[in-house]
Amino acid sequence: MDRIGRTPMQFTAVLAAILLLLAACQSSASPTGSPGASASGEVVEIEWYVGLGTGENPEQIPTEEAVVAAFNESHDNIQIELTVVDNTDAQNTLNTRMPTDPPDIIGPIGIRALQSFGDQLLDLAPYIESSGVDLSAIDQALIDAYNVDGKQIGIPMAVYPQFIYYNKSLFDEAGLAYPPHEVGEQYEGQDWTWDTVRDLAMLLTVDANGNDATSAAFDPNSIAQWGLDAQFTEIDTRALSTIFGGSGSVVADDGTTAQWPDNWREGLQFYYDAVWTDHFAPTKAEAEAIGGGEDRNTFQSGLIAMDAVHQWYVCCIYPAEGDPAVTDWDIAVLPEGPDGTVTSKLHADTIGILDTTEHPEEAFEVLAYLSQQADLVQVWGAMPAIASQRDAFFAGLDERFAPLVIDWNVSSQMLGFPDNPSHEAFMPNFEEADSANKDFGALLWTTPGLDLQAEIDAHVETLQALFDEGS
Amino acid sequence: MTAISESGTPRAVAARPPSGRFSSLETREALTGLVFISPWIVGFVLFSALPMLASLVLSFTDFDPRAVDEIHFIGLDNYVQMLHDPILIQSLGVTVRFALLVVPTTLAFALGVALLVNSTLLAGRNVFRTLFYMPMQIPIVASTVIWIGVLNAGNGWLNQGLAVFGIQGPDWLNSTTWVHPALVLMGLWGIGNMMLIFLAGLQSVPTELYDAARVDGAGRWGTFRNVTLPLISPVLFYNLIIALIATFQYFTQAYVISNGRGDPARETLFFNLNLFREGFAFFHMGYASALAWLLFVIVLALTFVLFRTAGSWVYSGADR
Repeated sequence: MDRIGRTPMQFTAVLAAILLLLAACQSSASPTGSPGASASGEVVEIEWYVGLGTGENPEQIPTEEAVVAAFNESHDNIQIELTVVDNTDAQNTLNTRMPTDPPDIIGPIGIRALQSFGDQLLDLAPYIESSGVDLSAIDQALIDAYNVDGKQIGIPMAVYPQFIYYNKSLFDEAGLAYPPHEVGEQYEGQDWTWDTVRDLAMLLTVDANGNDATSAAFDPNSIAQWGLDAQFTEIDTRALSTIFGGSGSVVADDGTTAQWPDNWREGLQFYYDAVWTDHFAPTKAEAEAIGGGEDRNTFQSGLIAMDAVHQWYVCCIYPAEGDPAVTDWDIAVLPEGPDGTVTSKLHADTIGILDTTEHPEEAFEVLAYLSQQADLVQVWGAMPAIASQRDAFFAGLDERFAPLVIDWNVSSQMLGFPDNPSHEAFMPNFEEADSANKDFGALLWTTPGLDLQAEIDAHVETLQALFDEGS
Repeated sequence: MTAISESGTPRAVAARPPSGRFSSLETREALTGLVFISPWIVGFVLFSALPMLASLVLSFTDFDPRAVDEIHFIGLDNYVQMLHDPILIQSLGVTVRFALLVVPTTLAFALGVALLVNSTLLAGRNVFRTLFYMPMQIPIVASTVIWIGVLNAGNGWLNQGLAVFGIQGPDWLNSTTWVHPALVLMGLWGIGNMMLIFLAGLQSVPTELYDAARVDGAGRWGTFRNVTLPLISPVLFYNLIIALIATFQYFTQAYVISNGRGDPARETLFFNLNLFREGFAFFHMGYASALAWLLFVIVLALTFVLFRTAGSWVYSGADR
């Protein structure tokens, strides 16, 4: 090597090679990174990984950075490092980091996504108990939603009940009364059930010639307006079954047997008929045509009269940017399901700690801090799990949607009817079973003329095989 | 360094030292070159060779990236599992059926376009060449999203165009019958590279051969079949190999149109998409590694077979 070193050309080559290698191997710093450990080595760095749910939008990041900065300024011994990853890459990025370089804290993340990491999440119960964190301001049912196999894997931060968004202009045009805003209220002398919704939705479904879906002259090949949709959930059969059938589970009480409860069969049949027989809910091709392709924001097209969506949909509705087709809307309660109960399937966001963390106590201290930050929940567009923070949340929405006056009381009511067990709850062999449920949903949404009950039987067999494989 | 000549007189041998000597000019130059390209060598070893080797090792394990500590050596279990995996068989079937459709179609279309833009009868040939190549500049994801709109059953341009002629177009991307033709259509839009290679091949055909064919009374088809096609057969062979490999690696378009699930009814669950799902959706990284090696072997075998057949149809020089 001495000879190489003595030759200027070779020295240059070696230097250039080393520099290039260093440049190539240098890890990219987090754009929002905070200072690392101090020289004394006493500072613990806790990485908070954002992107698995909401929280990665550019307008949300400054608030997250501010929350992190406030914590870091007030703590000498713990520093939060914020890592924000685009939502489309976040899951894969985390998967590839898990073997060698896992973050400490992940979230905000929903119930379903947390199941993917169920085995890798820290049980927070001992830390909640030892730290004395007060969870009394949060409904116990919400706390229980994050109790998986006896492990408390998260503290609820944000909740998103489901209800019906309705386009008042389309109701006015058809001369129909608006749907109920109170649970138990009737609609034009009829109990507010899914059967009533069907009748109403068919009147609100109109073809290109102006015939509604109850008319003999109605042409299902040229529908111009639909009565009902459940946008964003169309292929998730567990979600669809819950919306139209009430609470249930694909896992029997023994934890290993696959099933499809009767109320779920009824609920799924309702939706399948809505798409293919009664034609008041859009097919996949129709939804993509009116909803901007894969985004499928169908309600915003102005061609959907009623849409069962969650509280988080306020993110993407008038007054959104552009020229909205929906200018006058409100929200209504969900009807009674075939099981005789009202069910508002619930989405919720939390933050979890990966059990690979080397500093669980410090990570929990950070988590406890983050879970109390109303600013975060507000910027994520979520209803706070802490009841005392909700008035401010709705006041912010009122300001945003003015001059429209939205009856947020509907949302608060619906929070009282969460699905239990959750439609996103654990299943054995979770990822494959979840994928199979969505494959099944895609089949239903794109294929007319199926014997649905026979298809459900076959699907239960598929699930059982997957459950057995995962046991 | 000296040596003893036959006459016993010492002579210098520095002009050509024994091979392997570190001090020779050639060796030092070679070493310098190696040092200059060492970033690439190191990059190749670190980011290509070692990962390949790692995937081979992983293919004999049950590696789950979420539980690194629980990795086990399971011998050939992953390879045995392939024999009983109906999804794998299905994905292979999808890929082969698609290859049979897309490879000849794109080859023929690209050759046709190359003939067109090579024709002296076409005014503004350079403009057309640019236009046909231009889609190559658009990222695949972006172009696929555009095509999803174009192929929409309700308001897509294609079906609206067909409606003008009284034809009700199919639900291209949601129909098990039409989704492959739809993907072929999308593929035809991106034949720019293949066209360019064909064009280069066409321009290398000696014009005197065309003159001779004309003198012999050959028509357009006869000239094409007996002169052009044999002379561009090496280019055709190259494009065939590349197209076949690309088809077996088909992923992005299928991922985008089906949100990574292979809809409708797994008709777009191509081999690579299935591999991706096994590795990154279901976390069966060991099995996914085995699938990657199966793909490698399949592509290698196909390429080998094509090379073996090349002697009978690919023009290889003036001796033929």
